Amino acid sequence: MATAVSGAPKRSRSSRLELIGGQILAFVGAALFAGVIGGIIIVLYGENPLFVYATVLNYATARPEDIAQVAENATPLIFSGLAVAVAFKAGMFNIGVEGQYIIGMLTAAIAALYLDRLPGVLLVPAVVLSAVLGAAAWAAIPAILKVKTGAHEVVTTIMMNGIAISLVAWAILNPLKSTGEQSVDLRTNLFPGKALMPSLAEPLGLPSSVHLTLLFPIALLACALVWFFLYRTRLGYEVRAVGSSSGSAEAGGISIGAAQIKVFLISGVLAGFVGLNHLLGDKGYLGNNYEVGLGFAGIAVAFLGRNHPVGIALSALLIGVLIRGEDGIALSTELPTEVLIILQGVLILSVVVAYELVRRTVARRQLREEAVVEAAAPAEA
Amino acid sequence: MTATEVTTPAAPEDGAPLVVFEAVTKRFPGIVANDSVDLTLEAGEIHALIGENGAGKSTLMRVLYGMYPPDGGRILVKGQEVKVSSPRVAISLGIGMVHQHFVLVDRFTVTENIILGAEGGPVLDVGDAEHKIAELAESYGFAIDPHRRIEELSVGQQQRVEILKALYRGVDLLILDEPTAVLTPSEAGELFDNLRKLRGDGKTIVFISHKLDEVLEIADRITVLRRGRVVGATRPQESSKNKLAEMMVGRPVLFQLDKPEVQVGEPVLKVEEVGLGNHLNGVSLEVRAGEILGVAGVEGNGQRELAETLIGLRTPDSGRFSLAGEDVTGLSVARLRKLGVGFVPEDRHHRGLVLDMTLWENSVLGRQSETEYSSRGGVLAIRKIKELASRLVEAFDVRARGITVPAATLSGGNQQKLILARELDDEPVLLIAHQPTRGLDVGAIEFVWRQLLDQKAAGRSVLLISAELDEIYELSDRILTIYEGRISGEYPSDAPPEEVGVGMTGGRAEAGAGATVTEL
Ligand SMILES: Nc1ncnc2c1ncn2[C@@H]1O[C@H](COP(=O)(O)OP(=O)(O)OP(=O)(O)O)[C@@H](O)[C@H]1O
Ligand SMILES: [Mg+2]
Repeated sequence: MATAVSGAPKRSRSSRLELIGGQILAFVGAALFAGVIGGIIIVLYGENPLFVYATVLNYATARPEDIAQVAENATPLIFSGLAVAVAFKAGMFNIGVEGQYIIGMLTAAIAALYLDRLPGVLLVPAVVLSAVLGAAAWAAIPAILKVKTGAHEVVTTIMMNGIAISLVAWAILNPLKSTGEQSVDLRTNLFPGKALMPSLAEPLGLPSSVHLTLLFPIALLACALVWFFLYRTRLGYEVRAVGSSSGSAEAGGISIGAAQIKVFLISGVLAGFVGLNHLLGDKGYLGNNYEVGLGFAGIAVAFLGRNHPVGIALSALLIGVLIRGEDGIALSTELPTEVLIILQGVLILSVVVAYELVRRTVARRQLREEAVVEAAAPAEA
Repeated sequence: MTATEVTTPAAPEDGAPLVVFEAVTKRFPGIVANDSVDLTLEAGEIHALIGENGAGKSTLMRVLYGMYPPDGGRILVKGQEVKVSSPRVAISLGIGMVHQHFVLVDRFTVTENIILGAEGGPVLDVGDAEHKIAELAESYGFAIDPHRRIEELSVGQQQRVEILKALYRGVDLLILDEPTAVLTPSEAGELFDNLRKLRGDGKTIVFISHKLDEVLEIADRITVLRRGRVVGATRPQESSKNKLAEMMVGRPVLFQLDKPEVQVGEPVLKVEEVGLGNHLNGVSLEVRAGEILGVAGVEGNGQRELAETLIGLRTPDSGRFSLAGEDVTGLSVARLRKLGVGFVPEDRHHRGLVLDMTLWENSVLGRQSETEYSSRGGVLAIRKIKELASRLVEAFDVRARGITVPAATLSGGNQQKLILARELDDEPVLLIAHQPTRGLDVGAIEFVWRQLLDQKAAGRSVLLISAELDEIYELSDRILTIYEGRISGEYPSDAPPEEVGVGMTGGRAEAGAGATVTEL
């Protein structure tokens, strides 16, 4: 009989658990698959895959400082993954996280260098705020262009990325160029020590070569905040409605343009944090050798994490492991480190396929058992 | 090889029926949509499938069309057991389906949509296809321009494209899921002529409909589903509208309701000379408190644009409209909704629901800014919203497995009920109801009509835009006709339908008995 069965909501929790469990299994299965493909490549290079993988794992987890290193690697990726994901929820593709965080580093550097009269407790927040405002402003341009003129954000953000890179290059060559003795590197002056991000290395008794800072717990907090934003606030609701059915959202009184601009600004704010660990936790100056590609990596992280904050945190950590492993591979094998990049690519593809398989199997199995459960993953889908 | 040359490979057993369902069962989580259904489709018949919203009609046909694997039972085509694992397989077996909700690519032309998936080779011969389609369209009397883009077509025209799509693939069995829901009576008449022509060609047609008059007119045999089961089978000559309705819902249904006598009050909505591109041309009308104004017209004559203008989705190029005396031209949807305008769109998937979202999330769409449902800081009051959702689902008998399922999993009629429940719940001053009962079963239509009459009895107003003359007559206090973006006539509620029909086709009826034709 086609009657609604009561008590469904109670059981649906267990089904969601089953789905999450299934997704973890899918992840592991996909990782194994990627491992096999990667193994074949490694064998072709004449190395032993088991040894290589053991090396990666060893380098990533053996000592507390290794784990800290993984967390350090994950910090910017969490922010960039979140930045991509929130825009994606509104149906927009923020390819510009890259340019936005680069501008964020520039505005952060300006604050760190010119607001040096502030005491540390104020200077650090001021520097962070400056990064966030710079990145958000950079994000605002393509968002406004999109809403006002219809220019597609993918095209405009890619162009904005190019401009950002040139702008930083110009700034460190001209107005921000270091005034000290002839340095080999093209860079700004060193920031005052009080402008740097408080390190967690010392409190945790780790060597100072680890640049784990307060930004890592902040990144985890950002995951929680983004979740809350998406699923518990009105704007998050509107953003998701616009993302999955703009016509119905519009008829529901939601301004599509306003929602898109707002969510792009939020995406920009998150992007502003991406470069800070590198800038304020590691280097202490902005040079022409700054870390690039974190914004693009965020696309992969968001993809792997299914645009869900928890998934993003986990996949950022996983990629953190692989990055850490690159050091190990470089030191103890003859392999080019690109092998791990190939591995990442295979992993992303197989995980995406595996998630979908699991979603379907779980739904089907629950049907067979005639359990009264929820089939689809409502939030993560 | 072109699609029209696809032939059925199986050697048919002589005398075997075209399709036999044997104890077919299909479950969805928590629901048995088809419960051990036995059904036989004979070659060359028009077989009507009727039943309440959510009875499992669409699901049963989707199983045959290869969209869902059955959980039990078997399907025989021409006496041979088949496993229809995908629509592609179905089409190769000669089975085609036109869905309740169309599956067309908006940006593609008519031709591109029709040949999509039936290209038959790496090189597209669009010219040839176009020629064929034009011929096919002509032979069945479908006025359709193969070059137009789908997004420029009315819903009724889009449906013809869907039918052509199946015919182009040379099917023997054509499943039509509520094909007339979007057609006017005269268009439906044309469709029926075509269906009879197809039957004459030896084709078999499954016709799903909630319109019992049509079913009685066109069907050779009728099967009734209720809650997933076959509860009866009959023939038109042995049955009647009332009998069918009772078989469907399990109780007698009233097809005629008493219109409450209401003292009409001040004008609530006043539209003056509104123009919009070439869609609306100087439209003027007035709806007063306690009144239902019916706007009758053939689909695609500016109704959608009119409705969308009045809810703020479009800004008119000229003219103005006011609400309770206050000019509201150009206000946003949010502002208009705040002023008490409700909106039932004709297209529930693109203007009504966010299908990926849950029922409770959809229940609050349009009211998410009300202080009851989100705090001033912008945090959703989830418990309140869920209470609202439960209330709506209960009040309008939305058949669903709970309020946490995505709206996409509801049957078409239940989706419509959810929208109506939502839009009527906060007692709008003015309800713009565009095809409000499209896709509803007879019981639900009766219910919705009552709700609209209650709305009026409470002194509120309804602008009813419908292509269903029955509905227009059943509810309206006054009737306007719309044709090519103009108001082509005004009639009292007792004007003879022929006169209104003339207005709907653009002619200016001469004032007949009791009818006044006002040029606005
Ligand atoms: N994809 C799906 N997932 C889960 N449940 C579904 C799905 N499709 C349909 N159902 C459920 O199966 C039942 C039968 O739905 P179906 O669409 O076949 O009804 P119908 O008879 O066509 O109704 P209507 O006249 O309203 O179109 C309904 O309870 C519906 O909610
Ligand atoms: Mg249906």
